[in-house]
Amino acid sequence: MNAVHLIADIRDYPWRNLVAGLLPARFQPKTALIVPSASIAGNALTVVIAIMSFLACLTAGAVYMVNQSAEAWVKDISSEITIELDPVNTADIEKKMTLVSLFLAKQAGITHVKPMTAQDSAKLLEPWLGHSDVLSALPIPRLIAVEIDRSNPPDINAISEALSQNFEGVTLDDHRRWRAEIRTLTRSAALGGIAVLVLVAAATVAVIVSATRSAMASNHEIIEVLHFVGANERFISREFERHFVGLGVRAGLVGAVSASLVFLLMPIVMQMLGEGPATATEMSRLVGTGELDLKGYLFCVLVVFVVACLCMITSRLGVIRVLKSYA
Amino acid sequence: MIRFENVGLRYGNGPEILRDVNFHVLPGSFHFLTGPSGAGKTSLLRLLFMSLRPTRGLIFVFGENVSDLSAAGRAELRRRIGIVFQDFRLLDHLTTWENVALPLRVLGKKEGDYGEDVTDLLRWVGLGDRINAYPEVLSGGEKQRAAIARAVIGRPELLLADEPTGNVDPVIADRLLRLFVELNRLGTSVIIATHDYGLMDQLDAPRLVLYEGHLEIR
Repeated sequence: MNAVHLIADIRDYPWRNLVAGLLPARFQPKTALIVPSASIAGNALTVVIAIMSFLACLTAGAVYMVNQSAEAWVKDISSEITIELDPVNTADIEKKMTLVSLFLAKQAGITHVKPMTAQDSAKLLEPWLGHSDVLSALPIPRLIAVEIDRSNPPDINAISEALSQNFEGVTLDDHRRWRAEIRTLTRSAALGGIAVLVLVAAATVAVIVSATRSAMASNHEIIEVLHFVGANERFISREFERHFVGLGVRAGLVGAVSASLVFLLMPIVMQMLGEGPATATEMSRLVGTGELDLKGYLFCVLVVFVVACLCMITSRLGVIRVLKSYA
Repeated sequence: MIRFENVGLRYGNGPEILRDVNFHVLPGSFHFLTGPSGAGKTSLLRLLFMSLRPTRGLIFVFGENVSDLSAAGRAELRRRIGIVFQDFRLLDHLTTWENVALPLRVLGKKEGDYGEDVTDLLRWVGLGDRINAYPEVLSGGEKQRAAIARAVIGRPELLLADEPTGNVDPVIADRLLRLFVELNRLGTSVIIATHDYGLMDQLDAPRLVLYEGHLEIR
C-alpha cells in the first residue's frame, strides 16, 4: 500500500461508525449495524480483555512506580559520599576525624561535612549485633557524611586521591556499587514488566483471533451477501473491526479504571501493612510512597489505546485472512 | 461483456457439471438460461458472478480475465453486476428497506442521496407497505421481490437472476419481467435462469439451454 492509498484509506475511514461502535449494543444506531453486535462473542470476551487490560495496567504502573522510587533513591545517594576512617593503628582517631573533616570542607563542590560520632557508627551495627556495650570495645570504622553540590559536583577521584595521599587508612565511598545494583534491580523489574506485558498482549491477540474466527463463522451468511453486493475486503473487515474496537475500548477502560482504583488505594493498604511485619519504611524503599503520579496514570490510558489498536489490527487481519479463503 | 471459452467445472473429484461451455453475452442483450433441474444453471450463474472458479477454460467478465483478478478486482466487477438468488439471501436483521439499500451503502453512498430511490423502487415492486418489515415476516413472493429490488437498485450493467419468478403469482411475475425488460432497455444485460416456459414465451430472447453439462444457444 503506497502513501496515497494510505491517506485515502484514513480519509474514507468510517470514523463516525467506529465511534458509534464504542457504545454498548443497545445504544448503537440500528442502521449502522450490518453485522449485528449480538453475533459477536460479547460478554466473555469483554471480561477476558478487561482482565488482560487490568493486568497490563498493574504491571505498567508497578514498573513505573519501582522505577520512580529507584530514581529517587539513586538521586538521594548520588548527592552524598561517605568517608571511612580505619581506627586500627590510629593513635588519635578524633583528631584524625577533625583533620579529614576540615580538609573536606575546603574542597570545592562540597556543601556539608558531618563527622559521625562513634555512637552513630555503633548504631548502624545495632540491627545485626544488638544494643550492647561490647560495641564500644570494637574497632568500628568511623564515618564522615559529605553532601555534595549536584549543580557543581566536586572531582571525586581527585578528592579520593588527595585523601589517600594525606591520610593513612582513609577511604572514600561514592556509593557507585549501590547505584549500579539499584539500576540493575530497576532494569530487571522493567524487563520482567515488559515480559508480562508481551505475554498479556499475546494472550489478548490469541483471544481476539479466536473470537474473530467464531464471529466470521456465525456471520458467514452476512459475509456472503456483502460479497454478492460488491463489498470488498476493506468494507467487510471494517464492519467487524468496529465491533472489536468498541469491545476493546470498553473492556480496556474497565481494566484501566480497576487498576487505577488499586493504585489509588495502594497508599492506604501500605499504611495498613506498615503496622504489620513489613515496615512502612521497607515498603516505601521498594515502591516509594505507593502513589502513582499523573504520568503513571497516563500509562493506563496508553494501555487502553494499545488494547484498542490490538483489537483493531488483529480483527482486521483475522477477517482478511478468512476472506482470502473465499473464491 | 461476458465470454466463456471452453469452460469446465467439477466439484472436488466428482464428475464435470459443465463441459466445454462457450458463449458470448453482448452489452444490452437479454438471455434466458434454462435446462432441467441439476443441469448446472446455478453453477453457471455462480461462475458468471465469480463466486466459483472454473476447473478449466477462460472466463472474461467486462473484458477482464477472471483468473487474473485479485479479490479486490473481483469485488469491483461484482459492483457492476446485480444478482437475484433462488433462496433470496436477505439479511434477517435488516428491514426490507435496509436490505435493498445495502449495495448502495457498500458503495459508500450517503443515505440522503439514495433514500427516496430505494423507497420508490420498493413501491414499484409492490412492497411499499413492507418497507420496515423484517424478512422473517415476509412471504416467499415478497422476499423474492425484495431480493430483485436489491439486485437492481444499483443500476447494474449485468443482471443475473436465478428463478426470479419461482415464488410469485402470475401478475407479479409479469410485473417483474417488465422490470427486467425496462432495465434491459436502459442498457442492462439480463440473464434469467428459469424453468418457466410461460415466462420465456412472453419474450423473444435467445435461450441458453444446459443439458448434461453442455450448453446450446437456441
